[in-house]
Amino acid sequence: MPSRAQHEQAAKRESLKIVNKRQARKRGSLRDAVFIPVAVATLLLVAFGCFVVWTASLSIEEASFTRQLLGVGIGLFLAVVAWNIDYRMFANWSHALLVIDILLIFSPFIPGLSYEGGGMTGWIRFPVIGLTFQPVELVKLVTVLYMASRTAEYNGTIDNLRDYVKLCVMLVIPFACILIQGDLGSGIVVFVAGAVVIMIGGPKKEWVLSTIALLVGAVVLFFAVNSITTAYFDSPLIAPYRLNRLLVFLDPEGSSSTDEGYNLLQSLIAVGSGGFFGRGIGSADASQSGAGFLPEAHTDFVFALLSEEFGFVGGLLLIALYLLLILGTIFVAVRTENIFGKLVAVGIVGMWTFQIFENIGMCIGLMPITGIPLPFISFGSSSMMVQLMVVGVVQSIWRHRTKAA
Amino acid sequence: MDAQALVIIAGLILVAVVIVSLIAMRGYSGRFRFDTQNGTTPRASEGEGTTPKIMFKSRFTALVAGVGAAFALILGKLWTMQMVSSDYYEELAEENRTRTITTPADRGRILDRNGEVLVGNRPSLVVTAYASVADDEITVRHLANLLGLPYAAVRRNIQDNSEGAQSAHTVATDVSRRVVAYIQEHASEFEGVEIAQRSERMYPYREMAAQLLGYTGTATQEQLGADNSDDPGAINYESGDMVGQAGIELQYERVLQGIRGQQTVRVDANGNVTGASDAVEAQPGSDIKLTIDVKIQQACESGLAHAIEVAKQQGYENAGAGSCICIDCTNGEILGLANAPSYDPSSFVGGISQDVWDQLNDEKNKYPLMNRAIAGQYMSASTIKPLTALAALNFDVMTPDSVVTCTGYWTGLGESWGQYCWDHDGHGPMDLQSAITWSCDPMFYEIGKGFYYSDDNPDGMQETYRAWGLGKTCGIDLGGEASGRVPDAAWKKEAFKDYASEDQSWNPGDMTNLAIGQGDILVTPLQMAMVYCGLANNGVQMTPHLLKSVVSRDGEGDALAYEPTERLRVEEDADYMDLVHRGLKGVIYEESDATAAHFSNVYDNGEQVTLAGKSGTGEKSGEDEYGWFIAYAPYDNPRYVVASLCEQAGFGASSAMYAVRDVFGAIYNSPDDSTVVSTDGTR
Repeated sequence: MPSRAQHEQAAKRESLKIVNKRQARKRGSLRDAVFIPVAVATLLLVAFGCFVVWTASLSIEEASFTRQLLGVGIGLFLAVVAWNIDYRMFANWSHALLVIDILLIFSPFIPGLSYEGGGMTGWIRFPVIGLTFQPVELVKLVTVLYMASRTAEYNGTIDNLRDYVKLCVMLVIPFACILIQGDLGSGIVVFVAGAVVIMIGGPKKEWVLSTIALLVGAVVLFFAVNSITTAYFDSPLIAPYRLNRLLVFLDPEGSSSTDEGYNLLQSLIAVGSGGFFGRGIGSADASQSGAGFLPEAHTDFVFALLSEEFGFVGGLLLIALYLLLILGTIFVAVRTENIFGKLVAVGIVGMWTFQIFENIGMCIGLMPITGIPLPFISFGSSSMMVQLMVVGVVQSIWRHRTKAA
Repeated sequence: MDAQALVIIAGLILVAVVIVSLIAMRGYSGRFRFDTQNGTTPRASEGEGTTPKIMFKSRFTALVAGVGAAFALILGKLWTMQMVSSDYYEELAEENRTRTITTPADRGRILDRNGEVLVGNRPSLVVTAYASVADDEITVRHLANLLGLPYAAVRRNIQDNSEGAQSAHTVATDVSRRVVAYIQEHASEFEGVEIAQRSERMYPYREMAAQLLGYTGTATQEQLGADNSDDPGAINYESGDMVGQAGIELQYERVLQGIRGQQTVRVDANGNVTGASDAVEAQPGSDIKLTIDVKIQQACESGLAHAIEVAKQQGYENAGAGSCICIDCTNGEILGLANAPSYDPSSFVGGISQDVWDQLNDEKNKYPLMNRAIAGQYMSASTIKPLTALAALNFDVMTPDSVVTCTGYWTGLGESWGQYCWDHDGHGPMDLQSAITWSCDPMFYEIGKGFYYSDDNPDGMQETYRAWGLGKTCGIDLGGEASGRVPDAAWKKEAFKDYASEDQSWNPGDMTNLAIGQGDILVTPLQMAMVYCGLANNGVQMTPHLLKSVVSRDGEGDALAYEPTERLRVEEDADYMDLVHRGLKGVIYEESDATAAHFSNVYDNGEQVTLAGKSGTGEKSGEDEYGWFIAYAPYDNPRYVVASLCEQAGFGASSAMYAVRDVFGAIYNSPDDSTVVSTDGTR
């Protein structure tokens, strides 16, 4: 027979449970814990992406719809985990983040982990479970966290030029590592995301402008020196075919005899022939992607496939969803009282914006061809998992937006 | 109003809306805005942007502007591509996904007058390879082993650009099914190697009438590049097309050549056909019927071979070349036209090898490609004597009763210029008719002399020859006809202009030589056959031709039949013609026992056929005699003219005569059973 004390204890436990529950409901009411516009935009983008990959899977063997769904599943799980973690714990991890970052960048070279197949580099394969993963995707998030934690130390204003230069150097470290690893596209994504973090972090305008001028100058100088060494010493700094690959977008029809030129031309044809409403699904209608003319139609050039199938309307819908996602994230950044949170959010905005601009720009001939995926749309679970995790981080920032812990 | 304009107007409206909304939004972002969320906090009251909220505000504005700019750029470019220029890209996409495949058309067949196939078609499996394969030694060696050809030959075939640099080049034709199956099963080892099915020419009678029928080959660069803009009937060839290159194949190329079919197919990026649309069926070329009769043609071939064999038995080792023609003199139809030596046109199928080509063009082999019947030029020898007689009669050099006494040696131009008759024993007194029959030379020497010293008609003999069609082409529907030569004073002056003046002058000896068909006169066998057509026909020559009709495509009846036309007409006195006819009849039955023996046994359904004709023997210094024999029948109502020439085969009556007799044997189904060996020395 239970004693009275036991009864009281039980009652107390019961009441505590109730209080906790009530407390939880109050603090964690869904609208409070989740920023709806970003969540809705994400879910719609994922749904759109899955649909596009499904249409691609009709004609492209590698575009396995079930694998994509698996990536979405794992990604959603990771997003929920990230949402439940208080991101602020990373604010003081800057050293550890840098170490993790560099380890991730070079993980494809670790024996036992490295995985090469079908001409792909930069992949790892987890032993035992056999899952393949592209660590550079995760590097994007980690670098944003790292740069934000570093920049947040200055609490919104960087008064000292030395500090500014220090931050710039810190950004150059992961960027250079990725370049060494050989992935220019992802390197630039990371660089732009980090640069946005620094710029929002509060340096003087003149410094930023002169840095940009310096960068432009450096690039111009590089090409000048390159042309001189090519002409007079016959030893170009950059292999001509690499240079051509970068510059092919300036004259797609004139360079259609090269692989990149051909790919680009096919992409332009796919997008252009889509027209207003698109050509519909299937190889008979959307022949560019359906009959195999468009290379990488389910990965890097997925926007061209989408545009051919759904036309200007489909492209407009996609861009509207991206705008909702990005502006929502900026809103989260505005509302967060924590400087670190603001900087992480703007870093994510920078990453998304550049990645989307570069990928779509490449498909429509605005930007050079580099192999980076279109977030939430491109086939590939690495990107999908990390991008969903990034959304989880944004939601975590929203959830922990008030200063008080 | 077209879609383009609509799109542009819509774009302008969109831009206007954006500008207006931007202006309108300016009103909302006033400097001293009341913040409904956080209470009224005028910016100024916080002082110099020290709170994070104010600090970050302008930075976020810049961020939003950056994001907006990136997306605006994308939308702008998308708008121009998908709304303004989508038609252009649509076209490019269409180009990508459709291919037009041409399907080759079968060539028309060549038939004889009774529908017997002389040149047909048969399917053939072909191995082709792109030029780049030549660089891959392993593949080439593998292929060479498989095809049983030398490595170098395979490599040369692959590199041969005559079929066009871009297209696949033929490596081997008539490949066995086993080889085809092996290549198809091991496709990955034979990258760039393809199997094709082609229609190849087939020659059931092999070497028969080869020079006449001609051969086909892939279109030459010249034929590919021909500018046909002002010729509606011309064919625009594509590389690899089989085109007639000689003979009838070339002459009637436009009829025989079919019309390529075209099929538009949908393809995927690898070129695999995924669907078909709009097909235009290939139209095979039309079959044509020739005037040739296989039976007579075969007799011409075998008769020629017979004549040459006889000549060789008589010791004429250089014999081996010759020609035999059979013409229907009533309408000019060529019933048989044979040349020796001949060749097998099937060696041209799938491209002729250099070795065979060299052999066909080698003097040692007596140029088998040459169509001697129309392109070979020879001295007419005594076969021209009837024309000489007619010239003498017409220009009053002789009368039908004129008599010249032949002693075997004629000194009409003076003792020191004496000339022998072929019969050194002499023929005795001869009139014109018997001079033709016995082919007595002094009579014709006299005629030549008479013309030479004639004040009015020194060129009367040549005029007569030309009037009968010598010295110009006959107009047969076959390319490469030679025109021959009727020499006269003007010709000799021109021909010998680099020599001393006495060599340039036209001498009495030239004239007497010409009168018996020796010396500088040149005729083709066809020309002489036409002359005898005219003699048989009392002066009318019908244009010789080979095309009888074009068979209509549905197989029944003729789409187009050849209408006989007159080549020329010579008005001759009927008495003079009779004289000549009698003289020619005498050649067959009186002049020599052997000839008479061989021609007295020609029966048409039990009724004896009477013939008339003439032998001839051309003398060319340094070579054996060129034998002629030309005859026509029936004597009273002539229809068939058969002419034969055998190079370096001895006297006409002992060589070419056999060919002519064999052809008449085939015509009347009356083979020669006489075994009399002719040793006749008639020239």
